[in-house]
Amino acid sequence: MAADGNSGVFSQKLKGDFDAQYINAKNALNNSKVIYYSRTFMLIVGGIIAGILGFTGLTGFIFYFLVFAVTTVGLTAKAKFSIHSYFDGWNSVLFDGFLGGLMSFVLFWTFAYDSVHIF
Amino acid sequence: MAEDLVLDTTIRDWVLIPLSVVMVLIGILRYFVSKLIRTFQNPDGKIVKEGQVVIRARNLRSSADFIPPKSFRARRTYYSNEENGILHVPKGQAPNPQAQMFSDPNMAMDMMKKNLSMIIPQTLTFAFVNFFFSGFVAAKIPFPLTQRFRSMLQNGIDLSTVDVSYVSSRSWYFLNLFGLRGLFSLILGEENAMDDTQRMMQMGGFGFDPSKSLGAEKDSLDIVQHDWVLPKFEQRAEAVLRKLAK
Repeated sequence: MAADGNSGVFSQKLKGDFDAQYINAKNALNNSKVIYYSRTFMLIVGGIIAGILGFTGLTGFIFYFLVFAVTTVGLTAKAKFSIHSYFDGWNSVLFDGFLGGLMSFVLFWTFAYDSVHIF
Repeated sequence: MAEDLVLDTTIRDWVLIPLSVVMVLIGILRYFVSKLIRTFQNPDGKIVKEGQVVIRARNLRSSADFIPPKSFRARRTYYSNEENGILHVPKGQAPNPQAQMFSDPNMAMDMMKKNLSMIIPQTLTFAFVNFFFSGFVAAKIPFPLTQRFRSMLQNGIDLSTVDVSYVSSRSWYFLNLFGLRGLFSLILGEENAMDDTQRMMQMGGFGFDPSKSLGAEKDSLDIVQHDWVLPKFEQRAEAVLRKLAK
């Protein structure tokens, strides 16, 4: 995760009479990439865990949401809870990669579940 | 479930795991092969110049508030003047992307290479899977699905009595094809991010037209509301210093 001190999206945060904000496009792109990578990684690992633990049906999908939420909270904590200085709003933090992540999650869930349980 | 199938463990060892491993390895192989046959194209000078102009105009737009109004107006006139502004594209001079493609065979060749690097491995993998792994019930999805998914998940098995959540080997191939995208982007880095499905979507609209981006940039530069911030900076500095002094 590259959320170190100088990867803030806004070169300066202007408060007071005006709230103009200046976005550093390169850093913003990098941050959204970090979201995507950490989320994909977490969901793949989560899928394998769900498969090994043998979750089926709804339990697995609840686990998916759980992993998703944990990743979101982790990313938020890494951004020191000031989402707006690193990302362009809550939307990208909350929902990016929801469906693509679901595909990976289901694949690895099925794979681990089949390898461990059904044979 | 009442009608649980008993699957042989050798199916797991010789179908499910090899199939998945093969899919991953072929994905990696394809990445490196497409990297090898990719040719570096010397970019056209005119296109590069136009791109740089667009970037300069964008910089002006994003930091417009830091310069005095007069300077901003002068710069804007320089960019978007109707007669000789450098963002202004005279009508009829915009290059036709299709004609450009026919005049430059390299471009068509490049497209063909890209498409081939996508189609050939997929056909080969599909044939490989069909040949070695056809007809197995290879996996079971851990959640129930409706009958409509039967054709999708049990491709290659013509039994209507098997529970829908059982997956045939050919369908496991398709699941891998879509689901491994995330894994590839993790292990191969961002260059792989443009995957097959996106590429297929892009095939319709190839031929990037630079004059369009010039026009768009000109329009957005025209509507910029200029508001010089520097006069207010003293107050801001005062506020910051007061806060520090507290």
